[in-house]
Amino acid sequence: MGGGLQPARGISPASLVRRALRLLAAPALVGLVIAFYFRVVSANNTTVALTLLLVIFGISTGWGLLEATVASFVAVLGFNYYFLPPIGSFEVQDPQNWVALTAFLVTAVMASQLSVRAKRRTLEAVERRREVEGLYALSQSLLLSGSARTASQDLVSRVVRILGVTTAAFHTRLTHETFRWGPDDPLISDEQLQADRDEALVDRSQGVAIVPVRLGGQALGNLGLTGPLPSDEVLNAVAYLVAIGIERARTLEEASRAEAARQSEVLKSALLDALAHDFKTPLTSIKAAVTSLLGHPRADAERELMTIIDEEADRLNRLVAEVLEMVRIEAGKLHLEKRPQDVSEIIGSTLAELKPVLHDRPVEVRLQDGLPAADADFDFVQQVLRQLLDNALKYSPPGSPLTISARAGEGRIVVSVVDRGSGIDEQEQLRIFDKFFRAREHRFRVPGTGMGLAIAKGIVEAHGGRIWVTSEPGQGSVFSFSLPVFRGEMVL
Amino acid sequence: MVDDDPQIRRVMRATLVGHKYEVTEARNGEDALTRISAEIPDLVLLDMNMPGIGGLETCQHLRSGSDVPIIILSVRNSEKDKVAALDAGADDYITKPFGMEELLARIRAALRRAPTSPESGPHTVSTADLEIDFDTRRIHVKGKERRLTPKEFDLLRYLVSQAGKPVPHRELLQAVWGPDYGDEPEYLRVFINQLRKKIEPNPAKPKYILTEPWVGYRFSAT
Repeated sequence: MGGGLQPARGISPASLVRRALRLLAAPALVGLVIAFYFRVVSANNTTVALTLLLVIFGISTGWGLLEATVASFVAVLGFNYYFLPPIGSFEVQDPQNWVALTAFLVTAVMASQLSVRAKRRTLEAVERRREVEGLYALSQSLLLSGSARTASQDLVSRVVRILGVTTAAFHTRLTHETFRWGPDDPLISDEQLQADRDEALVDRSQGVAIVPVRLGGQALGNLGLTGPLPSDEVLNAVAYLVAIGIERARTLEEASRAEAARQSEVLKSALLDALAHDFKTPLTSIKAAVTSLLGHPRADAERELMTIIDEEADRLNRLVAEVLEMVRIEAGKLHLEKRPQDVSEIIGSTLAELKPVLHDRPVEVRLQDGLPAADADFDFVQQVLRQLLDNALKYSPPGSPLTISARAGEGRIVVSVVDRGSGIDEQEQLRIFDKFFRAREHRFRVPGTGMGLAIAKGIVEAHGGRIWVTSEPGQGSVFSFSLPVFRGEMVL
Repeated sequence: MVDDDPQIRRVMRATLVGHKYEVTEARNGEDALTRISAEIPDLVLLDMNMPGIGGLETCQHLRSGSDVPIIILSVRNSEKDKVAALDAGADDYITKPFGMEELLARIRAALRRAPTSPESGPHTVSTADLEIDFDTRRIHVKGKERRLTPKEFDLLRYLVSQAGKPVPHRELLQAVWGPDYGDEPEYLRVFINQLRKKIEPNPAKPKYILTEPWVGYRFSAT
């Protein structure tokens, strides 16, 4: 970055006129003092010289060095002419007076220089204090702003107010938005604000600066300012403060978003647990009561009625479980405990469980040799397979054979259940995994809720797999699902 | 019988009394802890989901001062929940709603000591840092007495009676819990872990109770 420490100030015609007037007024003041002592009050030469020095110091402090230097020369000439013998002449007879005049001139000019320098230092110190106060106010206000968006909006208005610039604009890379404050200024265009820049662009003659806003090497955006620019140090500090303010707002926003999401997840889980509890508690009493009654010897009619209560309690329980499971899947709250699983073991255990209902069915299991382990939750995959077998049983003629196969390929294990049922027509194949969908042909004939396959689909997809059906009406159906192959190290 | 639902307590009381059990009811965890310390039951049926201190916490409190068999009743049926309950010191876990016959079978299994007769295995085991006396049911590890729950003790006794041989999961479950069991490998994982914590000098590298991959467990006294 170039430029000095002083704020850039343009030289206007008014200031030129002021300067010229001061250059005339400075010797005029000296002339007045000389006239006063020459005509009104007579005093010794020392008094006159000291009074002139005082006036010159005043001029240097109030107006500047050039005015003071002009005044000094005029004072030396005037003092020599009116007060040193021979009076009324510029001639100097006594060599001592040469020394006095030279000492006067040197003292006047040097003291003027010192006075001007001290004044400049004071002004600089005031300027620094103002800048530091501005930065402090800016840091305070940036740290108090809320979201990253409102922080960016507040930022530009605060920079204008606190730093005293004319226009401020900030382009953020987070959302690719530009925030502006102050009159539109063509000096900071959108292209300039959006450009990648490592270095600041500062043009003090035009009063425009575009400073990159970075934090830890990451570019967050660019800050553009026009008008009376602060020093380079202040520009850098402002850019850094802006970076911290934006980053802080973004972190806060992310944290509050994460917390809100967490609370909503916790609430969802708690609600589902409460629902499960509230539905299942009365079912528990009914089931316990009726099974307790069934444990005693009963007349046939009584036993039949109690068995109906028991079976219906079971059915209600399954319905509640299915509805809750569907809600869990849709809420993304299915907790899979994925481990390396032997698919043949899942098939074996499902068949063992379904043994009572499979008794009249020849079941063929075809497993590819050297089948790798699947990365899956045993219970959930078993549920999917149970659902497919259950469907195959419901929708194929009694006694017809079923085939279960498992093969691996392309990082997946595909499990298929084949039946020799009536098949599913093409239109219905597309909708069969939809929630509550029931095939027209079976809607009133086969019991079911229309949630089983939708749940199976949810479970398979939660594993990162896919479920599909191929079917030939009249020939039967093949329901298949894929599971990812386990890729980690086996831990026993 | 600890459950916050009065209807469930009513059904259970009616059924259990019908099967000649004496039943004391508690409405929540705090109530249960007071009553159990006063009445010293032979078995606790404990609901998992209760207001105030829940089933798990109540189970842990009970277990810290008592060997009473505890069966957890819960509407949740995930393996995670079962393991959490067993880890808290429960002996068994049954999912609501349940058939009464199943609950009665599990109550009988929990009250029954494992069917290994003392004659079938050694009366004592003694190594450099482990001493087990099966007759007095006392265990000392490096001279310090350790308390085992009845199920932990029965599990250890069965493994010791088959010392050196790998015992399959199903056999172990049926020997310790009863003939209705066999599909609860998570029970074994939890109980074996607890046993290892109590008797192994370094539970992470067990030297007495060894895992036989894909088969079961084996006791080694050497």
